[in-house]
Amino acid sequence: MDDPGTLAVVEHHPRARIVAATAEALVRGVEPGRSVAGALAVAPQLQLRDRDFVLEAATLDECATWAGQFTPCVSLDPPDTILLETSASLRLFGGLDALARRIAEALIPLGLDASIAAAPTPLAARWLARTSAGKLMRASKGWARSLDALPVDLLADGGTVSTPTLELLRDIGVRRIGDVVRLPRDGLARRQATAVIDTLARARGEQPDPRPWFIPAERFESRIVLPASVERTEPLLFAAGRLFSGLTAWLAARHAALDRCRLYLEHEDVPETLLEIVTGRPGRDEARLALLAREHLAALTLPAPVEALRLSAEAPATLPARTPDLFGDPETARDSATLLLDRLRARLGPDAVRTVLPVAEHRPERAWRPAEPGSRPARGASGSGPRPLWLMDEPRALGSMRAFTLLSGPERIESGWWDGDDVRRDYYVARAPDAVLCWVFERLDPPGGWYVHGFFG
Amino acid sequence: MSASALATLAALPPGLVWQADRLARPAEAGMPTGFAALDAQLPGGGWPRGALIELLGDAPGIGELGLLLPMLRAATAAAERWIAWIAPPHLPYAPALAAAGIPLERLLLLTPDDHAETLWAIRQALASGGCEVVLAWLARADTAALRRLQLAAEESATPLFLFRPAAAAIQSSPASLRLRLVPTTDALTLDILKRRGPALAAPIRLTIPDRPTPPSRALDPTHDALVCADPPRFAVAGIHARRG
Repeated sequence: MDDPGTLAVVEHHPRARIVAATAEALVRGVEPGRSVAGALAVAPQLQLRDRDFVLEAATLDECATWAGQFTPCVSLDPPDTILLETSASLRLFGGLDALARRIAEALIPLGLDASIAAAPTPLAARWLARTSAGKLMRASKGWARSLDALPVDLLADGGTVSTPTLELLRDIGVRRIGDVVRLPRDGLARRQATAVIDTLARARGEQPDPRPWFIPAERFESRIVLPASVERTEPLLFAAGRLFSGLTAWLAARHAALDRCRLYLEHEDVPETLLEIVTGRPGRDEARLALLAREHLAALTLPAPVEALRLSAEAPATLPARTPDLFGDPETARDSATLLLDRLRARLGPDAVRTVLPVAEHRPERAWRPAEPGSRPARGASGSGPRPLWLMDEPRALGSMRAFTLLSGPERIESGWWDGDDVRRDYYVARAPDAVLCWVFERLDPPGGWYVHGFFG
Repeated sequence: MSASALATLAALPPGLVWQADRLARPAEAGMPTGFAALDAQLPGGGWPRGALIELLGDAPGIGELGLLLPMLRAATAAAERWIAWIAPPHLPYAPALAAAGIPLERLLLLTPDDHAETLWAIRQALASGGCEVVLAWLARADTAALRRLQLAAEESATPLFLFRPAAAAIQSSPASLRLRLVPTTDALTLDILKRRGPALAAPIRLTIPDRPTPPSRALDPTHDALVCADPPRFAVAGIHARRG
C-alpha cells in the first residue's frame, strides 16, 4: 500500500516508549525500547501512533484464522505469537522448509511481517522466533541442548517465571539458559523458583505443554482502515485483496465454500456503500472474488472517498473435495460458463443478464418471462399457431394494411377479461413490402386498427 | 502461371498452400449449417468454428435467425455452455424458441446499456470460453473493434455471429466470412461477400424451414378460413363475460 514513512508505535504504560517502528524509522535510530523524547530527538519528523491492544488482538485472531489453511491445530499465544502444530501437515506441504517459505510468502499480501521458527515444543519455537528467526529445529537426539545458548531473559517470555526470579538468576551470574540447566534443581526449588524448573522442562519437552486450539469464528468479519482516504479503484482493490485472502483462508480452514459475501466501503460522512459479491457457485477462489470486486467497483460511482473496508460473510457451505482429472477436467467448461455469468452480472447488473422462458398464457406479451440463466423451461408446449422469434416490446400501430400481404391466419386470441387487461385480437402472418415476415393483429375492440407485434426472424 | 509452377503446386501436400481459386480447407471441419447448398460453398463445409462471421441485413424478420436455427440446435445438444445473445434488436420470443427446439436453459440474453458495454460483453463472452456460440447485434463498429473481435473469436475457438446493417457491406472487415442476407418473397438469398475461397458466381437461395410457409396464394382477410391451410385455432380461456 502507501509507504507508511517514518512511523513508530508508542506505549504509555509503564512509561512512554517506542514499541515498534517502520524500517525508515529504524534506519534513523528509532529503536524499540527508546523513550519517546529520545526518539523524537534523533528523528524530528517521526509520526507517533498509540499502541492499540484491541487492534493487536484482532490482528492476531485474524492471523490465526488465516493460518488454519496450513494446519487445523492453531493456538494463540498472546500478545504476539501464533503456534502452529505442523507435524501432520509436513508431508502435504513438502517438508518444514517448504512450509515455512510458503507461510512467509503468503503473509506478504496480508501486509504482515512475521518471524518464523520451528522447534519440537511450543515454548522453544516461541523463543527461537524471538531470538533467531528463520531457525527450523527438528526433533533429534539432544536437540534441547541447542537451547542452552539462548539468553535467560526468555524464561519470562511465554513462561510463568516472574521478574523478581529472573533478577535473582541474573544476580547469581546466570546469563544463558544453559547456565540454569546446570544449577542444582533442589536449590532452585528452595528459592521459590519452581516456575523456572517447570518452564525449562516444558521448553525441553520433558513435561507436556498442552495448548488450547484456536477455533475460528462462525462468521467472517474483517475490517481494514485505509491509511488515507481513497477514491481510486486500484488501492481499494489492493486492500480488498487482503480481506479476500483472509476470507479464503478462513474458508480453507473450515473446508468450506461461499457463494456470496458483502464488501462495505465506509465513508466519512455519508452512509457506507455495500457491494454484494455473488459468485455463481460456492467456491473459495480469491482471484475470482477480486475479479468480481473489480467489476463492481468499475460500475460504481463512489459518493465520497473511502475510509475503511469491511468484509463480512456467513453460512459457508461444505465444499466437496474434487479430484483432478488426468484427461482434462470435465468441470472446466461449466466453470468457465459460470465465471462468465458472474462477470457479466457484476458489470451489467443482474437485470441485463437473463434467459427467457415460455409461460402458459394466451396473451402473447405475457407468454414469456425473464428468468435466471440456466433455468429450465417447464415441460409441455402449448399447441398454438405460428409464433415469431422476435417480439416487439409494444405492438406498433400500422397506418394502413395496403402494402402488407396476409399469408396465414387469423388466429383469434381472446383472453384476460378477469384481470382488466383483456385482449381481443385476430393475429395473421403478413409479408411487408420489404419481404419481412411480420406477425400482425387486428384489434377487435374499439378503436380497432392493425398492429405489428413481432417478426419471423 | 507456367505449367511447371502448376505442377510444383500440385505436388505439394494439400493444405500447405492455398490457391485463391479454390475453397480453403481449414484444419477443423465447420459446423454444418443445416443447408446443403450453403455448406457446399463454405470453407470447411459449414460455419467456421473460431471466427467472426458477419451477417449483413437490414431489418429483423428476414429469416436471419431461421438461418442459424439448425446450427444452434446441433451445437447445444450436449454442451454445458451458453448460447449468448448480445444486444438483440427485439425480444427473443420464448414460446417460438422453445417450439424451434432451442434449449432455453442454455440461452444467455444480454442487454447492455450502450455500445461500449456491448463490445465489452462480446469480448468477455468470447474470451471466457464459456459460450458455445455468440450472437451479437451491432449497429456500428470500426475496423479495429472488428479486428479485436475476430482475434478473440479465433483465440477461444468460439464462433461469433455478428448481425450488422446491410450498409456495412461497403466497409472493409477482418471477418473471415461475410454474408449479405436479402429476403425475397419466398426465400432468403445469401450473397457471400467474403470467404476463404473464390468469389461466388451467383447468390444462394435458401428456403428457411423454420418460418411460416406462405400458402400458394395470399390471403384475403375477408375469406381467411377458406384459404388457410391450417384451420384457425381460437384461444378461448374460460367463459367470457362480455362487456358493453
